[in-house]
Amino acid sequence: MAATAHKGHAAFGKDTGLQARMFLTLFLLVVIYAVLVGVLFAVGASGLTILVVALALMAMQVFASDKIAMGTMGVKEVSPAEEPELHGIVERLCVQADIPKPRVCVMEHQMPNAFAMGRSRKSATVCATRGILEMLSPAELEGVMAHELTHVVNRDVMVMTLASFFAMVASLIVQFGFFFGGGFGGGYGRSREAEEAVFVSIAVAAAVYAISFLLLRALSRYREFAADRGSAVLTGRPSALASALLKLSGTMERIPSRDLRTVEGMSAFFIVPARAKSSLMNLFADHPPLEQRLAALQRLEAQLQGTA
Amino acid sequence: MGLLDALTGRHQVKGPAPDRLFAITTAYITLQSEHGIEPAGSAAIVFQALATSDFESTIKDMEEVVKATGGESGTQVATQDDSYGYRWMVLRNPAGAPSVEDLAVGINAVSSSIETAGYGERLLCAVFAFSDAQRHPIYCIYNYKRGFWYPFVPAPGSGGSSDGGERSTERELQLKAQIGNELPMEPELERWFPLWGIPI
Repeated sequence: MAATAHKGHAAFGKDTGLQARMFLTLFLLVVIYAVLVGVLFAVGASGLTILVVALALMAMQVFASDKIAMGTMGVKEVSPAEEPELHGIVERLCVQADIPKPRVCVMEHQMPNAFAMGRSRKSATVCATRGILEMLSPAELEGVMAHELTHVVNRDVMVMTLASFFAMVASLIVQFGFFFGGGFGGGYGRSREAEEAVFVSIAVAAAVYAISFLLLRALSRYREFAADRGSAVLTGRPSALASALLKLSGTMERIPSRDLRTVEGMSAFFIVPARAKSSLMNLFADHPPLEQRLAALQRLEAQLQGTA
Repeated sequence: MGLLDALTGRHQVKGPAPDRLFAITTAYITLQSEHGIEPAGSAAIVFQALATSDFESTIKDMEEVVKATGGESGTQVATQDDSYGYRWMVLRNPAGAPSVEDLAVGINAVSSSIETAGYGERLLCAVFAFSDAQRHPIYCIYNYKRGFWYPFVPAPGSGGSSDGGERSTERELQLKAQIGNELPMEPELERWFPLWGIPI
């Protein structure tokens, strides 16, 4: 059945390059995290304490972050009676993607944007701002919601949280390493070796943090590409998403930065970054540049039209 | 989806599940004889219409085929797009001959020619219309991805518009109990997605 369904022109090809890059990024993350864990074990007891603290922090992130975010951002769950069109779009996409329906929320904010939250498909939430609902046509909104649902299908929140775990450990060591310093390598009577161990582990942690930061940003960008692609595959309308991205990017730059700062923390899950554009260094961005996303969608449209 | 798929963000749209569309041709007899629910003589299939010349010509060919095969029974075919951008192909039997078998054969002809053309993953649902003794509409929806059926009953007085409305969950659950043995029902209630503004 699956073979017949994907034969011929209709199916989109696989994007092997994107998957290879994502896999390489994950592999590099694991390598540098292994280095960090090695150092933590080498310095002994207080290294492990930091690991435990970080684990607790991550558990909180995994289980409570969506509730905290929803509480602080004024995100409100809406019923089908309140937002019939949004629910209709999400329901049809859920049938198409064969996933249970996530909670549907609206954020009363004029900034046009959308995001997905939640650690699993069962507990997922998709959210659109009032601004995006007013701005986009139904087809464009469908493209955006399909992008967010692909984040849910791909478990992006979970993957990013897990992937950034050791980066968090490293940042804890960098920030509190000197505070824990007394405990490193023994405890009483700071020997020369003990002090050296403290410095070495802080230096390693700083390096791990810097490298993993860049790798995580790269991973986040790749997952955005994957979500754009997933949206195109789900809706069969890559150009509708491209049109939505164009509309959104137009306004994002005009929004005053005072408003934007209040939503800064959620940036990684937004469909377009909530920051005023400073394309100084794409290396540090958590979203790929618009031109690249549009080009990727254009390639998908060409595949669909059979002209690629 | 496997771990590797989750890590690399790979995602394919599912094609249709094994076909259980024809279960309706036995289930409707129970509905008719035991529960007084009559077939309304119309059915529809919903799919995403791709804006490509190849897809459009597939649809056109298919419409011809259904018209030709429906010639004997007098089944009429009409196409329309809804406000969500999905396309409905509506099959209607002539009044007085509401044969569910003919409709199922017609719907199956549409879905299989979409599948043969390689667009199987674009199929969303098939809908069969019924009406109860008070002439309220009752719909049986077949989800192609899952291969399951579920009932959809708009509460009387709503459901005519595509803006949504109230659904009669009680009636739907009764229907599940009444024909659950004949019709393979969607076991997860949260996947009983409504379709507002059904044009049949």
